[in-house]
Amino acid sequence: MAEKLREQQAIPVSKVQRAAKFISTGAKVGGNYVKHYAKKMVNPSMDKEELHSNNASDIYNSLSELKGSALKVAQMMSMDKNLLPRAYQDKFTMAQYSAPPLSYPLVVKTFQKHFGKTPEGIFESFTRSAINAASIGQVHQATKDGKKLAVKIQYPGVADSVSSDLKLVRPFALRLLNMNERELDHYMAEVEEKLLEETDYVLEIERSREISSECGHIPNLKFPIYYDEYSSDRIITMDWIDGKHLKEWLETNPSQKSKNQIGQALWDFYHHQVHNLKKVHADPHPGNFIVQEGDQLGIIDFGCVKVIPEDFYEGYFALIKKDLLIKEEELNQIFYNLEFISDKDTAEEQVYFKGVFKEMISLLGKPFHVDRFDFADDGFFERIFQLGDRISNDKMFKKSRQARGSRHGLYINRTYFGLYNLLNQLQAEVDTTKPEWLK
Amino acid sequence: MESATTKKTAKKDFRKLILEGYKNHVLEHGTAPKSVFKFAKDLKMKEEEFYAYFTSFDSIKSAVWIQIYEDTISQIESQEVFKEYSAREKFLSFLFTWIEELKKNRSFLLSIYGEGSKGMLSLPKEISDFKDKFKDFANEIILEGKETEEIATRPIISDRYDEAMWLQVWFVFKYWLDDRSPRFEKTDAAIEKSVNLAFDLMGKSALDSFLDFAKFIYQSK
Repeated sequence: MAEKLREQQAIPVSKVQRAAKFISTGAKVGGNYVKHYAKKMVNPSMDKEELHSNNASDIYNSLSELKGSALKVAQMMSMDKNLLPRAYQDKFTMAQYSAPPLSYPLVVKTFQKHFGKTPEGIFESFTRSAINAASIGQVHQATKDGKKLAVKIQYPGVADSVSSDLKLVRPFALRLLNMNERELDHYMAEVEEKLLEETDYVLEIERSREISSECGHIPNLKFPIYYDEYSSDRIITMDWIDGKHLKEWLETNPSQKSKNQIGQALWDFYHHQVHNLKKVHADPHPGNFIVQEGDQLGIIDFGCVKVIPEDFYEGYFALIKKDLLIKEEELNQIFYNLEFISDKDTAEEQVYFKGVFKEMISLLGKPFHVDRFDFADDGFFERIFQLGDRISNDKMFKKSRQARGSRHGLYINRTYFGLYNLLNQLQAEVDTTKPEWLK
Repeated sequence: MESATTKKTAKKDFRKLILEGYKNHVLEHGTAPKSVFKFAKDLKMKEEEFYAYFTSFDSIKSAVWIQIYEDTISQIESQEVFKEYSAREKFLSFLFTWIEELKKNRSFLLSIYGEGSKGMLSLPKEISDFKDKFKDFANEIILEGKETEEIATRPIISDRYDEAMWLQVWFVFKYWLDDRSPRFEKTDAAIEKSVNLAFDLMGKSALDSFLDFAKFIYQSK
């Protein structure tokens, strides 16, 4: 009986333990709030920055140990800069780079399962430890026939744990994103769907090929070649893209011309996807872009691709036009279609929310209103953050029982915030091209 | 001399015949044979011939476990990289390969252990030979781990590490029996995470500093 007990205690992978991880974080976060208010009593001028920063590191620590989809959610939150206070952002962007690695025996086993051979049996060389951690897998470097390859291996069991992980993250998301439950569930469904897609490596290869061939004509872009014979639904083998991550590259102090060239390539890449392909690489975080010699931009990781439905596309971008010359009725219709307002709203709410969304859209549409936009303009980003802050603290929003905005908007917004944010980091000035009908 | 060798080969074949016959019976009927007499008759041998190789059905089951274990060991030892592994990686590699070998016998194992797995409070006695062999293997790993300081030497507890690793093996087995995920991926995750936990606990940690401190306080009182 004593043995039995010990055995029970040794079960580490269960939902219970994962939950315990979150609970202990919850307790810490709670503690941080207590500390914050205690300090505030002594020093009323203290702002919330410190509190956020304490919370962020506690939450990050527990998320990074959990890996998998929880880490992915951390990434998502780190992307939506407008939704998160500054301190969270910095900590969460770390989640994009580091996660504890898989053991080598498990890598060997995964290879044997899928190819019946060990990595050494397939490649001329293969690194024993991971070179990079991706959110749901890790990357090893290999060589074959003199070519450098990147081999991405998915953590086992990730696909199965997506749904339960999201349930665990939910209370934190509620707290952090300041949303009500209904609103959150509305989006969580979309997130879950996308995360499940991301665990499908066969789909990822298919989409990578499709988008890279469609975007092949855009100047200064580089895409890796994918190798089917060494890929499966848990392993992806592609060319190794030599170069520097965006952040590292920026540390080498590139010239303004180089920065503009990279920025322009980025803009063109997204322009073509959104307006022509209606399918977009919806994961514009810095880790997915590599700058190569001669200011070429390498693009990796097509795990997250958002297909943009036609009616959503029309409504969303119609709002970005410089002068909203559309009649009030038409505008109302668009707002209805995009689920910004609904019949359940009171007249007062409708007026208020329409006002807010118009302000938001005209701000976010700014780069589209000119031919050339300087993303180095921190004032522009400051205004976006301020608006985000103001909205998330507004009583009308908190009171509202409605989810606002179409679920498709979630990833499109994320894509544009991500893109703007990258361009801001680059301090680039780019020609903000737009399709004919938007001019 | 000559007759001895021929006898030996014949013996081997009979042994195999009984092993396979037993597995087939369990697979096809879902239960163990009713009696040795009936089983021997089905295999067209006399009951006393059966006893020359196995003393009971339990000893056949035991032989199955030993075979799985030995196949696992020869598998991992055939991998070049195995020698370079750390103790932690060796144990991981053992479990991952062992699960693959178990997979070849999954239906057999399920029909014997599947139903009662929740009630398996004590270890079925046919497992004990496998357990002894595994412990020898585990002790090799532990010894190596102690040399490389992956595993901390602690009074009394560290003599029981082999038992702890055995419990882990048994945990993995039971987890795998209930695993319904495609390709048993959850079992892979379970192995990875539980071994990491076990080695983190066996390694030098805050626990040692705590014990050291507690001892100091106790002694200086």
